[in-house]
Amino acid sequence: MFAEAFEIIWQYREGFLTGLWVTLELSAIIWIVGITGGTALGWAAARHPQNWGKFVRLVAFILGGLPILVLLFWLHYPAQAIFQVVIDPFITAAFTFTLVNIFAVASLVREAIADFPGEYITAARVCGLSARQTLFKIQLPIILRQILPGLLMSQVVMLHTTLFASLISVEEIFRVAQRINASIYKPVEIYTALGMFFLAISLPVNGLAIYLKHKYTRNTSER
Amino acid sequence: MLRAEKISKSFGGNHVLRNVSVWLKPGTITTLIGPSGTGKTTLLRALAMTDLPDVGEIIVDDQKYIFPLMPEQKLLPSPWPRVTAVFQQLFLWPHLSLRENILLPARNFPRANMDAELNELIDVLEMKAFIDRFPNEASLGQRQRVALARALMLQPRYVLMDEVTSALDIEQVANILDFLPRLRERGIGILLITHALNFARRAADTVLFMDHGQVVERGTVELLDNPQTPRLQQFLSLVKAAS
Repeated sequence: MFAEAFEIIWQYREGFLTGLWVTLELSAIIWIVGITGGTALGWAAARHPQNWGKFVRLVAFILGGLPILVLLFWLHYPAQAIFQVVIDPFITAAFTFTLVNIFAVASLVREAIADFPGEYITAARVCGLSARQTLFKIQLPIILRQILPGLLMSQVVMLHTTLFASLISVEEIFRVAQRINASIYKPVEIYTALGMFFLAISLPVNGLAIYLKHKYTRNTSER
Repeated sequence: MLRAEKISKSFGGNHVLRNVSVWLKPGTITTLIGPSGTGKTTLLRALAMTDLPDVGEIIVDDQKYIFPLMPEQKLLPSPWPRVTAVFQQLFLWPHLSLRENILLPARNFPRANMDAELNELIDVLEMKAFIDRFPNEASLGQRQRVALARALMLQPRYVLMDEVTSALDIEQVANILDFLPRLRERGIGILLITHALNFARRAADTVLFMDHGQVVERGTVELLDNPQTPRLQQFLSLVKAAS
């Protein structure tokens, strides 16, 4: 089965590579904009809980209850019909998934900052650490250790979510696989090949998340 | 001198400090005793300026902070780590080893003999066996010693300590009792909150007794044998009965 899967990958390498490139492009946008935007939004939400904080919690709550596929379809079909615009499906997919990722990351960051024990900062102040030192040597390392494994795992989930883009005709790897299957009908081999592509990308990220979790998220409860 | 002048502090209508005036001279040791919930820790945190008083003044040597702070007062130089504190909960940073907890702030004040100073503290406070562990791998007594070392490595002029010997065994307390006079000789003013009257008796130059948010009595350690107020008499007899 695997030998045949590799054979199919080799035979349709151009199509797979084009699809993979679109998937990676989509993922890169979702990851980069989602993580940077989400971190900034999460930081603002923690610093200003009454306005930004409420806004982030409300939107994250709504997005959390809405299947991503429904949101994607809604933004692709009804929204564009209402506003009488036609937007490239790739842009629609990138916008939708990035939006979801921004609020997922923002929630993670907001909670980590809001739950940060303020007494560590007080201890830093009485020890004469500057605000900058306190931020970079105390706050950020502790917060990063707390959120990094969860953040990486959530980015793997976002990578998997890009498959939905095929349903609005984005030529990403899943759609390429479906089209190849439509012409040669070898679903086992083709979807095995697809699984191998995703494993090749996901496993290192998952592995890194597990490594970081073991390395940095020691049980810090004191005895 | 570190001085509080007529400071008051309330938490939601609960008056925790009422018009308190205390002072701490460099090179002296003052112990602060009193029943639980009488405002000792709040007074320590006010003196450390981590929880600012509602009204009153805190004077650190030649620097006066008047409360409530006016906008221009917020530009005054920080009192830390000239005044530093060891809190009851210690607040060691969990991502750093115990050694790094001590060295991170100390590196802001570099000097040639820093290693020797740290080694001296490691010896005196018997920290060699655990200094490279993380806070969660150390016992409360070990962490208390590290928090104390962290404060002392900052070369402070005033150290405010809240129950820092509560988890130490007799031998370790004896070590600290031997060590305190050396800090006094270095000109460090120490304020110690303690429930251990024997420790207070052996360590202190001055004893303050607090009750209901006020300093009720102030004197030398003789005060512990000859209390002047019925409230201190009652407190001391209760402590004696309990021990």
